[in-house]
This record gives sequence, structure tokens and C-alpha cells, in this order.
Amino acid sequence: MPDHVPYRLPALAAQPYAWPFDGRWSAADTALLILGFQTGPVQALSAEAELAVACRLVEAAAGLGMTIVAVRRGHTDQESPIARRRRDLGDPIPAQGSAGWALDARLALPPAAILIDIAGDNAFFGNDLEERLRARGIRNLLVTGLPTEGLVHATQRAANDMGFECLAIADACKGTSPARHAAQLRITTFGNGLFGTVASAAEVLSALHFA
Amino acid sequence: MDTRAKAEAFWPLGGPISRTRMALVIIDMQVDFCAPGGWVDQLGEDVSNTRSVIAPIREALSAARAAGLLVIHTREGHRPDLSDLHPNKQWRTRVHGLGIGDAGRDGGRILVQGEPGWQIIPELAPEDNELVIDKPGKSSFHRTQLAAELARRGIDRLVITGVTSDCCVQSTLRDGYEHGLECVLLEDCTAAVESPNHEATLEILKAYGGRWGGVADLPRFHAMLEAADA
Repeated sequence: MPDHVPYRLPALAAQPYAWPFDGRWSAADTALLILGFQTGPVQALSAEAELAVACRLVEAAAGLGMTIVAVRRGHTDQESPIARRRRDLGDPIPAQGSAGWALDARLALPPAAILIDIAGDNAFFGNDLEERLRARGIRNLLVTGLPTEGLVHATQRAANDMGFECLAIADACKGTSPARHAAQLRITTFGNGLFGTVASAAEVLSALHFA
Repeated sequence: MDTRAKAEAFWPLGGPISRTRMALVIIDMQVDFCAPGGWVDQLGEDVSNTRSVIAPIREALSAARAAGLLVIHTREGHRPDLSDLHPNKQWRTRVHGLGIGDAGRDGGRILVQGEPGWQIIPELAPEDNELVIDKPGKSSFHRTQLAAELARRGIDRLVITGVTSDCCVQSTLRDGYEHGLECVLLEDCTAAVESPNHEATLEILKAYGGRWGGVADLPRFHAMLEAADA
């Protein structure tokens, strides 16, 4: 972590309001979530462009000593019948330990990054991620990942119920179709941000480089 | 499709199964969301969409009661001291001019436990033997006893109804999936304030044959109950 952690970063031009709601965010109280940028999903969704954006965000966040959380989704022999059905229906979920399950090596995660393994979509389900973030004083979350209507939205919904102030970075997320991506982000911002806000990576990177 | 085949198709995991393993969940059919004089109505927004599902949910409720299913009602709301209300949630709602915890037109406070607007609408009032879950968030599983109550009763299949489809209904169905529960949404028993969000939610839920659970309707619910084991 650098000697100087900026206390405050500039508010972001986000939809539907300038983020965060109270104007308070810094590298110390914010975490960057990297959800499902695994080699299998990146390939299945042709998400090279979104991965490149996520890589730039990781680099900028790591440079400021910001907490970074990387999440891998994978199935094991212990999966529930419902999870098994989902794969049978054609939703590609890599097996833990397989080549497609590995995080994309281009992410260049810092050694201090928190690594979380899940079987479903919600990065907070069945683990202590919430407690670990709170222990670090994290109150704001920047959310990226694949797919938008899967890991991204499920995780942001859960985080929102927990009170985290969330921002989905639109061009660092990709859905299983453009319509689902757009619809899920529209629902995110409905009602003055029922589940938080949405902005572009350019907005976020500009604020991080300001620091 | 004959009745039995319809009944089996209701649950993506197959059936028929015992009715003792099922529950009907009715989400947030509260005055503040879907009655004249409630919060949404006071904001000047249209409650016709959320009111349109009252009659279908009544029908589902009657059928569930007659079949002996556990009925679960949820209520979104906060303690009178608002200690369980996150600052950002309150701030976002206050932008509309009348936020959670504020006193509305009739003096009742918005989405606060015990207030008139927080009550379940009379048309769908819970009976004494039914489970009422009070929730501070969108998901019926967040900071509630729902998962424990279901596990204690051996219930692992949920029929989901209520409002709004894009918000609390979607959160509950997604979390049900995470908990390993088989969830089926009755699409004629759920609605959103804005139709495009409702339609997009259903398209997402139905994609890949229903990643987080099934989507069915009232006629199929009736058929499933008829064929279900006692």
C-alpha cells in the first residue's frame, strides 16, 4: 500500500445520481469487485473488450492500494440438483480446477487481492466476504464482471441489501445478450438507484488517476 | 398435455411431490406498494400494475389454503427507530420527496413497522396459521428467518408471487436458488411499476430454460396441486 492513501476521491458522474450518494469515497473505504473474469466465461461471452477494461481498473486500483476482490464461479461434485440442472440447460459453468475456471492471467491481481470461490452467482453467499470487507472499513463497491445478469447483478443486489454503496461499471460487464445487459443495468438504476448506480470505466479511471 | 404431465412440468426438477414440501410465497403486497393512499400512490405513481395482480394472487392463495400448503407473506419495513435502514436506502427514497421513515399524507410513516401503509392489503390478509416474514431488504432471505423456517419444516419448493417482479421478487427468487431451493414464479401473479422492467425481468428469468427456477402460471399451479401427493 502506498504511504499516502487519499482520503477522498472526486464524485463520479453516474446514473441516476453522482456516486457515491454522500460524496465520501477513497481508496481505503472502497473495493473493486472482479466477478467471473475466468478464461471459460471470457471466451464463451467473447468478453475480450470488457476484460481489457477490467485489467485497466485493476491496475489503477492496485496502484492506490484499494482492496480488490476476485471471484471465481465453478461447480464441484457436491453441487445441488438445481445447480446441475442449470448446467444441463446450457449455462456454461466451469468445473473447479479446470482450465476454463482459472482467472484470466491478464488481470495482474496484486498478491493482497481477496480470492472468493462460489458455486452460484452471489459472491457473498455462503462465505465471510461481507465480514472481511467490513473489517477493512469498506463501504463502497465498484462492480465489474460476467455476466451482467448473473454474477454482477446477483452480487450487487446482495451488497445493496447489506448497505454497501455500489457502482456497476457498464463497459466492464457483459451479459449473455446486449438486451439482458442493458435491461439489468436499467433495473439497477430504477427508482433513483434501487440497487445502486451505473457509470463508465472512463469516469472511474479519471477519478482514480486524479488521486 | 394431461393433468399429470402438466403437474410434472410445473417444477423444473420434476414431480409430483408432497404438498408438505411446498410453500406459497406472497411478497410485499402491502398498502405502501399497491393500495390507494399508500407510498407509491402518494408519490403520484401508477399502482394499476401492482393492483392488477391482487385478484390472481387471491386465487393462488385460496388454492394453496385449500390444498394445505404453508403460506408465507413477506413485509418490507423498518423498525420505528430506523436502526435497520441503511443511509443510502433512505437517501435514495427521499429524492422522490417522501422517503422511507417520513410521515406521509395521513400521518403514517412510510414502510415503518406497525404503520398503516406497512400492513398487508386486506384482500390478502394473513391467517393465524400462516408465516409472516418481516424483511428490511429486497430479498426475503436477507436478515430474516425464512431459510431456517423452511429448513425446519422440510420445505424445499417455493411458488413465488407478489410485487415487484424486478425488485423484491427477483431478489427472492435468486436467493432461493443460492439456498438450493426449487422456485417457480407465477407470471400472472407478479408485476412491476413499469412494464418494460417487468418484461425484461421475465425474459432474463426464462433464459436458458430458467437458470434460477421456473416460470409458470395459475392454471399450471392448479394442475400441479391437483396431482400433488398429500
